[in-house]
Amino acid sequence: MRAADTTLATRPRRGLGGIAWHLVLAGVSLAMIFPVLWGILTSFKPANEIYSLSPLPAAPTLDNYAHALTEWPVGLLVGNTFVMAAGVAIGQLLIAILGAFALAYFTPRARPLVLTLLTISLAMPPQALIIPQFLMTAKLDWLNTDLGLIVPQLGSSALAVLLLLQHVDGMPVSLLNAARLDGAKPWESLWHIVLPALRPAIAAVTILVFITTWNDYLWPLLVAPRQIDTTVQIGLRQFETAEGTNFGGLLAAATLTSLPILAVYLVASRRITDAFLQSGIK
Amino acid sequence: MMVLLLAWVYGPALFTAVLSFLEWNLTGAPGGFVGFDNYARLFREPEFGQAAGQTFLYAAALLPFSTVIPMFLAIMLWQRPGRASTVYRSLLFLPVMVAPVAVAVSWRFVLNPLQGLANEVIGAFGIAPMNWLGNPASALIVIVLVTSAKVTAFNMLLYSAALSTLDRRTLEAAKLERASAWETTRFVVIPQLHTTTVLLGLLSIVLAGQWVFTNVSVLTQGGPDGVTDNVYYRIYTLGFEFFETGMASAAAAVVLLFFAIASLGWLLVRRINARR
Repeated sequence: MRAADTTLATRPRRGLGGIAWHLVLAGVSLAMIFPVLWGILTSFKPANEIYSLSPLPAAPTLDNYAHALTEWPVGLLVGNTFVMAAGVAIGQLLIAILGAFALAYFTPRARPLVLTLLTISLAMPPQALIIPQFLMTAKLDWLNTDLGLIVPQLGSSALAVLLLLQHVDGMPVSLLNAARLDGAKPWESLWHIVLPALRPAIAAVTILVFITTWNDYLWPLLVAPRQIDTTVQIGLRQFETAEGTNFGGLLAAATLTSLPILAVYLVASRRITDAFLQSGIK
Repeated sequence: MMVLLLAWVYGPALFTAVLSFLEWNLTGAPGGFVGFDNYARLFREPEFGQAAGQTFLYAAALLPFSTVIPMFLAIMLWQRPGRASTVYRSLLFLPVMVAPVAVAVSWRFVLNPLQGLANEVIGAFGIAPMNWLGNPASALIVIVLVTSAKVTAFNMLLYSAALSTLDRRTLEAAKLERASAWETTRFVVIPQLHTTTVLLGLLSIVLAGQWVFTNVSVLTQGGPDGVTDNVYYRIYTLGFEFFETGMASAAAAVVLLFFAIASLGWLLVRRINARR
């Protein structure tokens, strides 16, 4: 990728020998995904084989999936998770678009202050705020509701705002000034000039927020503990009972609920890594 | 935007400070003002001190996984661009995509003390089965390794991005000088990645305790004997398992104060460096 920056010819020839190169990278890749791979393979094994050492099931079965689909409220949980992830993504996006545009277009006097507050909020450990956030959500009677899962997470839009602001600030000033001289209203500039230019950045932020929220653990654990109102990540705990853990069902359910994200990743891995990259560079 | 930020981030930060001076156990009505009592109790309990110590231990243990290891992986991928390296890059990034809970439950299955794969494998070498998550020596290592996959995956991506912006003239010069691949890597490439390394190292030190949260919660709940605990998980345990709202808030306030001081220090260092 990005061959244009450092052409092939400038790169040092041959680091490690070819086979060693493949061995190291394949080894590390395998080590990193091994437990998940093993979990997926196990989810196709019948109960009497579940601890067998053979990676492939001798008698493959979908029983675990049938169990996860019938005994586990998979539809409700996936629905809740989707609503939460989409709600947070859309909400943060709206805030970020309007916020970034306002900060760049009007350059209010408080801009440095706002930027400082946003940056500091990024550094605050989320776990240090959970108690009051939980109490506020409870006070609003939002426990076990979609609102409780979504609204408090909109407070952490700082990253989205700062990422978009970078792009708006990067636009040529003359473009907005020309529009202003032509008598364009602020919202017209936003709609016709800024939004089209921001499209790739907006896509990146949406992907980023959606995936991180889908995989989120702590907040749904706190505010939506009830079996049918929670998200898939928390719902997986329901396979643990006093009699022990139903690993077959658990692994089948974990596979099922990771599938949507993995499918999207397979189709658009380049786009997604780029989105994550932006969040890291800031 | 600012309303939400103030209501759900800065409000709670202040609220935390207020709560830390009250006596309250979440279920009843808020109790009266108790001054620094919660702080005194917090610092008296050995668990919090231990959790703080373990937080630093996590920071040290995860440091190589966030700097050296992803750096070498990224350099290897960068040295031989092509289809194979694209495939490896996608595979290596997978841990960021998979839900942390799914990863953690898979690990718990593999490490199952009765018939788990890990024990079967070491059994084949004649080693007695281990209670991986119940043994203080192995539990911490397991949490660090499980968390490291995601950290390494993400930072490898950042190193790859940094590599694509290397100064190509220096690489051409190295080639003219007939420098070996290792020499080029050691004396040309790695020094140019210095900024990235410092930044990722600092981030890792500060955030390591937060990164392990899900794995601690799913795999060990801070045990055995608190070796896998850390301040963030302790806040959760105090607040939502023991319902010690006051003490949990005091712990959160200590963490916030620590971050405030660290950020100020960071700003100060940057300002001094900028003036030079």
